[in-house]
Amino acid sequence: MAKQTFQGRPVVAGDIDGNALVSKQPFNTTSSYIDNIWGGVTDSAPCTDQDNKELYQKDLNGVILCTPQTIGSSMGGGCLMAVAGLGVAPKAMLFSHHIDGVSAAGIVMANVWQEKPIITIDLLGDDFMNAVKNGDPVSIKEDGIVEVG
Amino acid sequence: MTKGTPDYARYAERQSDMLGLGPDGKPDPNYDATAIGVTPTLTAYDPSKPPPQMKLTQEEQDILDGKKGKAHAKVMRTLVDHGNLFGATKLVDLGGAPHTSFFTGTPAMSPLIELFTECADEGLKAYAPYTVNPRPHDLYNVETSPDEQIMIFEGYPLQLEVDHLHVRLGGRNLDTRSCMCYLPEVGNAPKKGTFVAWAESSAINAGNSILGIRTNRNSCGMDLMCALAGKAPYFGLMTDEGRKAKWLIEVKTSGEPDWGVLGGAIGEKCVEDPPFIVGIDKYFDGKITPQNVHKLKAMGAATASNGAIGLYHVENLTPDALDKGRDLLVKDYQTYVIDDAEIERVRSTYPNLWPENVKKPNRAYIGCPHNTYQEMMNWGTGILDALKARGQEKIALPTHMFSATVVRDHVFMEHPVMMRDLKKAGVTFTNTCVVCFSGLKGYSDTEFGVTNSNKTRKYSNSIYLKDDDLLEVIMTGELPT
Repeated sequence: MAKQTFQGRPVVAGDIDGNALVSKQPFNTTSSYIDNIWGGVTDSAPCTDQDNKELYQKDLNGVILCTPQTIGSSMGGGCLMAVAGLGVAPKAMLFSHHIDGVSAAGIVMANVWQEKPIITIDLLGDDFMNAVKNGDPVSIKEDGIVEVG
Repeated sequence: MTKGTPDYARYAERQSDMLGLGPDGKPDPNYDATAIGVTPTLTAYDPSKPPPQMKLTQEEQDILDGKKGKAHAKVMRTLVDHGNLFGATKLVDLGGAPHTSFFTGTPAMSPLIELFTECADEGLKAYAPYTVNPRPHDLYNVETSPDEQIMIFEGYPLQLEVDHLHVRLGGRNLDTRSCMCYLPEVGNAPKKGTFVAWAESSAINAGNSILGIRTNRNSCGMDLMCALAGKAPYFGLMTDEGRKAKWLIEVKTSGEPDWGVLGGAIGEKCVEDPPFIVGIDKYFDGKITPQNVHKLKAMGAATASNGAIGLYHVENLTPDALDKGRDLLVKDYQTYVIDDAEIERVRSTYPNLWPENVKKPNRAYIGCPHNTYQEMMNWGTGILDALKARGQEKIALPTHMFSATVVRDHVFMEHPVMMRDLKKAGVTFTNTCVVCFSGLKGYSDTEFGVTNSNKTRKYSNSIYLKDDDLLEVIMTGELPT
């Protein structure tokens, strides 16, 4: 596929390459990490959100997660910190919309307090979500450029 | 794979606001809300014009540079980084007192417990003694069977750590634990215009709307972070622009509306944008009083839980609306008319989540958010009058009345005989949080509640009823036909 380039805003800046894991529907943070938070799972991050048919039971550990934005309980920020602490957080989160307050709190606190940054870009636009597919190679640049393909 | 995740944990985390579900209960790919209470104006990023970073005072910069301690510097860094994401122009000094929703000792809270312990170890404290949401269980009055107690101990294993931490950071006594921090008995009601950084969706909603204070819709953790700094990033609902209404809500019901359903309708329609509501001030005798504030509480909490609204205005009634009237509306506002038919349409969409073979409730929940003194009186006299009229000694359905301990004590001091008679009739008084246990799957398997709270309905399997119908069910144990 032809490489496509998108410009977003660096929330937590960084350079990283990987493959996309896509949730076209908003990603429910807390619902997705139940096994890590309550179940004692520490070596992987199986998605536990049964409402998310695209991601349910897929391992979220170390992925580049692409989604419009995140939703759900205000514990979501704490959950992101928890999986970052376990070392099974996404290595990057890419939002097509403006980042929401819950994820922003968790991502900022994980970066500041745990020094375990989850590279995060938001405002990538609807075209990004329309273009990116599961498994696509993704290259993230420090300045918020995201290359897909 | 699961290594023992309890079923009730799975269930509980699917019950929250900001779920992004459409009217059919299925995920809505177009759901768009940022949880901060205002839709951000920034929709794209132009690297040639990066958004301005907030300006700091010299004192704030010194803190950021670590001159007042390592943890203090990280608190400041968190506020600055978070605020910059939402276009904050500066930090503002906070007044009044904080209110936090950091109240559940679930394993998910472990990282927050660690970081706030680091703050406490450095000697940081909130800028004023603060109020905290209710504890999530009450082993004295509500969850008393061995199985229920085990669920609580396993679901909230870090509860004592959270309680301990609040004492160290400046939290107030447990008898003030409540989501209704602004009641006179609890006493956390900052003056109009005061900047605070509260969490708890219903308290934020009421604080901004009823008190006229200025707080964003903070997530758990950010509230306490701001409390320790005594400052908050200035954006969103703290600004004049962010407090403008994008919706005109015209209420045209034939009589006093069902406040819970009205709020639910507004929340579903507006999601997180502030509404300006007209047509309901006539039900308040000219002003908000301790005798009628529960109507706004019921409506507001429903807007905040069925949607994600952090501020509403009521024409001729709420502080901002009294000051500015319809000038609060943005130019291109949308209009939503709510009449009797719309109330009933919205009510008809509320599902019955009980198994088909369950036809009778086994608990009644009154007080979500927590009851006011007036509500305790209304329900207390209502229940006792109904018992007398029917010649009954006891109610047919176990009924829990939820309130802060200090509110319950106020009623007890003024009306001890009524409280004694209610207790004898089978009413339980508790200061816990109804949605924290009624939403647990272990409870939803065995407990089938009825409630007058649209928030409890939203977060649990409970059935929402009008007040008159709920009283009848409490007397008979049977659902209305």
